[in-house]
Amino acid sequence: MNMGKLLLIVALLGAFGVVVGGVSCSRRGSGEDQLTICFGFQDLETEFWVAGHKAITETLRAKGIRVLERNANQDANRQLEQIRDAIAQEVNGIIIIPQDGESAVTIVGEANRAGIPIAVFNRPPSDRSNPALVIVADNEKIADEAVAYMAKVAREKGKGRKWKPLIVVGDLGDRNAVARRKGFFNVMERNPDLFETPIEVPSKWDPATTLANLEAALQANPDVDFLFTSSDFLYPQIKAVLEPLGKWKKIDEPGHVILGGLDGDSTAYTLMKEGYVDATGVQDLFFEANTIMEALLTAIEVGQKTPENWMEDPGFALTQENMAERADEMWGYRVLHDE
Amino acid sequence: MDRPSGDRPVQSSGNVTSQTRIARLKEVVIGRALLSDSFVLYLSVAYFVVLWVFLPRLGSARNLSNLSSNIWPLLVLVIGQMFVLIVGGIDLSQTSIMAITSVCGALMITSGLDPELFAANPLWGVFVGEQGGPAGGSVAAAPVGIAFMLAIGTLIGSANGLAVARLKMPPFMVTLVSMFFFSGLAICITRSENVRNLPDAFLAIGQNYLGRVPTARGSVGLVPYSFFAALALAVAAWFVLARTILGRWLYAVGMNRRAATVSGVPTDRVIVWAYAVSGFCAALGSVLYSSRLGAGRPTLGENVLLDIIGAAVIGGISLFGGKGKVRWAFYGVLFFVLLDSSLYMLNLKFYTVNIVKGVVILVAALLDVLRNRIRLGWAPTGRAVTA
Amino acid sequence: MSEPILQFEHVSKSFFGAMALTDITLAVRPGMVLGLVGENGAGKSTLMNILGGVIASDEGQIRLEGRPYSTGSPAEATRAGIAFIHQELNLFSHLSILDNLFIDGFPRIGRTPLIHRREAVRRAKEALAAVNLSISPRTRVDRLTPGQKQLVEIAKALHGGAQIIIFDEPTTSLTSRETERLFALIERLRREGRTILYISHVLADVLRLADEIAVLRDGKVVRTGPKAEFDINAMIAAMVGRQVDQLHPIRRGKPADKVLMSVAGVTEPGIVKDISFDLHEGEILGLFGLMGSGRTELGRILFGLDPFRSGTIDMCGQPRRRRTARRSIAAGMAFVTEDRREEGLLMEAPVTENMALVALPNCRRNRVPGTLDRLALRRSVDEMIASLKIKCVSPRTAAVKSLSGGNQQKTVIGKWLLGRPMVCILDEPTRGIDVGARYEVYSIINDLADRGNGLLCISSELEELMGICDSLLVMSKGRICGRFRRDEFDKERILAAAFEGHLERGPRGSSGASN
Repeated sequence: MNMGKLLLIVALLGAFGVVVGGVSCSRRGSGEDQLTICFGFQDLETEFWVAGHKAITETLRAKGIRVLERNANQDANRQLEQIRDAIAQEVNGIIIIPQDGESAVTIVGEANRAGIPIAVFNRPPSDRSNPALVIVADNEKIADEAVAYMAKVAREKGKGRKWKPLIVVGDLGDRNAVARRKGFFNVMERNPDLFETPIEVPSKWDPATTLANLEAALQANPDVDFLFTSSDFLYPQIKAVLEPLGKWKKIDEPGHVILGGLDGDSTAYTLMKEGYVDATGVQDLFFEANTIMEALLTAIEVGQKTPENWMEDPGFALTQENMAERADEMWGYRVLHDE
Repeated sequence: MDRPSGDRPVQSSGNVTSQTRIARLKEVVIGRALLSDSFVLYLSVAYFVVLWVFLPRLGSARNLSNLSSNIWPLLVLVIGQMFVLIVGGIDLSQTSIMAITSVCGALMITSGLDPELFAANPLWGVFVGEQGGPAGGSVAAAPVGIAFMLAIGTLIGSANGLAVARLKMPPFMVTLVSMFFFSGLAICITRSENVRNLPDAFLAIGQNYLGRVPTARGSVGLVPYSFFAALALAVAAWFVLARTILGRWLYAVGMNRRAATVSGVPTDRVIVWAYAVSGFCAALGSVLYSSRLGAGRPTLGENVLLDIIGAAVIGGISLFGGKGKVRWAFYGVLFFVLLDSSLYMLNLKFYTVNIVKGVVILVAALLDVLRNRIRLGWAPTGRAVTA
Repeated sequence: MSEPILQFEHVSKSFFGAMALTDITLAVRPGMVLGLVGENGAGKSTLMNILGGVIASDEGQIRLEGRPYSTGSPAEATRAGIAFIHQELNLFSHLSILDNLFIDGFPRIGRTPLIHRREAVRRAKEALAAVNLSISPRTRVDRLTPGQKQLVEIAKALHGGAQIIIFDEPTTSLTSRETERLFALIERLRREGRTILYISHVLADVLRLADEIAVLRDGKVVRTGPKAEFDINAMIAAMVGRQVDQLHPIRRGKPADKVLMSVAGVTEPGIVKDISFDLHEGEILGLFGLMGSGRTELGRILFGLDPFRSGTIDMCGQPRRRRTARRSIAAGMAFVTEDRREEGLLMEAPVTENMALVALPNCRRNRVPGTLDRLALRRSVDEMIASLKIKCVSPRTAAVKSLSGGNQQKTVIGKWLLGRPMVCILDEPTRGIDVGARYEVYSIINDLADRGNGLLCISSELEELMGICDSLLVMSKGRICGRFRRDEFDKERILAAAFEGHLERGPRGSSGASN
């Protein structure tokens, strides 16, 4: 009676082996001396990473380069293992979006030892002990600029009254989230007369968590009138919480909460255009992607094994003031208008 | 009082024709391999050989070196989990023990902290400072740090065990709570910063190898130091399970806690031991992973839990308690790591990797169910003789 | 006189070659209460299980309203109008009364799978009214008293259209007031023309309720007749009947004077009261009692599995205070549980592993602390397997659950003997094992006594205790109601003592709270 099932499973296993083998054969057939680049990244949680991933993979493939994609699911150890596997496959170059700065140092070290040029996208290694190509946005400065504009608006509007600020913080395991929070608090410290103690709402970079925590925070503090989100992708949740409380208002309407965020995605752009959001910090995604790819391809071409170059994306704050002239520098705007 | 005889064999195995005899022979041969203790090992070897034909790089020195450095830390964790599974529990808190020991150990032995990142730390100025932790810069930093980490891990594990044994709380709840608590605490005391500047001796454990083999692109390590840690642990674990009284007690508690209590087994103490071992192993795993990544890390191991339990189950360690061997743990880890690595080698699209992995694990689980079926199916034969 | 509604004709049943029922022939007329009495193991439950479709008979047949009725399954019995109110009530305690009443078929809205809630509530109220239970059908069953639960179960039976209702020891967990209520209900059901089969150890109740009485002994109907022909003594005489025969090995040894275990005034409210006795070297002391008399609970208390409020338990003159199973074992006690599956064995483990469990701490190797001298352990386990004649093809690998009941029980006993105890408490040592294995177990007990051990045998089978014990304690309602030396053994007197607490009940007033 068990024979049937046994045979079925053995057959299944066999079939699986054949399929796997076939797939790998067909892949191996497609050119041995083709340039291969490994692109290792974390979960593509937000529009920013999706757009970045798309920009990098499409550009590389358009140039006839084979791309090995590796998703580490937010696990630094797994990323290390994936990059080692890629090195064992003798790739020509590596681009990573690391989980954090420390693991970036270790992973860069692995690539250095194998003599494979490596580029780090957006999240920088925590020190420069191992040479790498790095592109990074100055998150603290960008956040600072955006919040500073929001503070300016608050001062003009408030006429001497104090504001109740709230920040939706990111996953504090992520250096960019830490920097953005810091930028926000820099502004708070510069304006002690303008702001009460800020309320911090953890988001863990997760929409459901954000929704729950924000709802609770606003239950407890219904008088919040100044809100900064560490990432633009959380706007739908913010709207969902503010709207029933009668706080989702356009800038000139009474009861408007001064709103700002960071990333510069298409939602943020739309909301600014409609007049809900006051300012958003923008990192120049396409600039970052192009710069890092160019640098890596050049290094491979000239045969550099451990190239080093730290490049910076200055970013900027897009505000209601400068929107007219600078909106087309925002990648969210371009994502929207390319399609 | 008379009881209806529910367990009497219902079918008689009277008339066996030659045809069924041949079918039965086949069943025995395939069944033998399926039922063997080393079944998962055979499966792993077969899998490796089949794929090697298509993917010669799978057997390259660098890949083998990768495989081995991936196996040992995971094995350490699975062995710890196995102790808890044997007594019929489950330890979800292993990953958070890894995180908390990682940051505590690192804070203890770091030789310098960036005030910009750590000045807001609650321990700043008390326990740690700009010059690092209490043992920072000392010659004995690495052993002190490791001992500290192991002690913390064991302590947390014991606390879990006490809650399970004494308060009779369900293990799932206890360890779920401690998972949240300690991973939260790890993030809290570091303010989510990674702790760097660890002593070289500490880093060597996870990063260095005994012997190197030259390849076209740099040399490749032969035997990682983590192997020795895992080997020592595995031998110790085997000894405890197979040769000591505690070992017998662990299995007895897992199979039938009430019967064990009645038979004079100190059930509570045994359970505490199991969780303590699990905590110890989590801490040891934390040493290996932390040093491999070169930093104390509050998010260390966040995603390893399912790998641990997956590998344990594939190895044949029962989630219902009473079953488990060190060998099985090793086979499970071997298969798991091999699977992982081979799927990357195949260059599947990243979003298909997890699907394929899920399918393979499903097949492995089906095989396990089948093995149990056969084992049960054969039991009546044994019963007929004894009844 | 009307035609019998239910007839048993030459019904027989055997388990493992032991006859449980032999040639039972009985007829029950509609609207009659038949009282069914007999000792434990006399076959009452087996007979009712056959009627209720739980097990099948080997021979003979049952006729229902004159038509042959084959017992296939409990569901079939229910359809045939037979309801079985069990000793352990069969209700889902986490569900409401409503859910329990309709668990096998809720009224639906038309042909949809949706539950017609209002209709269900209406019908449930009707069903509860029929048993005089005025309580909301939405009440969860675990909030009810035992008596109320029983009424719910009866309501369920009536609701299912039962014509024949079997009550198996219905009053064990009821207060006097609840019992009165139950009896009034039974009386009413009888007047409505339903047939009642009433099984009970409380002979006074049987005498009061039944129209006819049937006495079972050793699987046979020994006496039937209208109530008028019986009194309590007549029933006991019929139940006990024959002499104890040679089912038991001959007891040669004699207890010594040395006291091994001394129990004085042990009391745990609601469980046991003021228990005092001495257990001597080489003595087999029997502990007899009906179900619910506290005999098993006392065994557990003595071994340290359950707590007690006051009193002392001394082992070899040493008082023992903080008691756990572990300490009891260290003090030289062993406890063969009545529940092999849950408390006795590691069912998945082989014989050897089960046997070794108690003796593990005795097999330490001195060189390395905590390690096992596996050779010594294996040797002693093998010796024990041989000396107890445990039959098992592969004692090292085959799970113990694949063994027969007798071999399982011998494994449990062997496990304890390896711990070299002085005092053994054996709770139902022969439960669920066949006649041959019983004799072997008795021999083991005998040998142990001859070697100077003290044994306390707890059993609900009087013959067994009379066959093997040197003296006997009888428990009823948590107290010791009788002490008998071997030369004083007399079945009628012992049973009378065991029934003592129950007879006392007499005419019932409002004394429910005193229990």
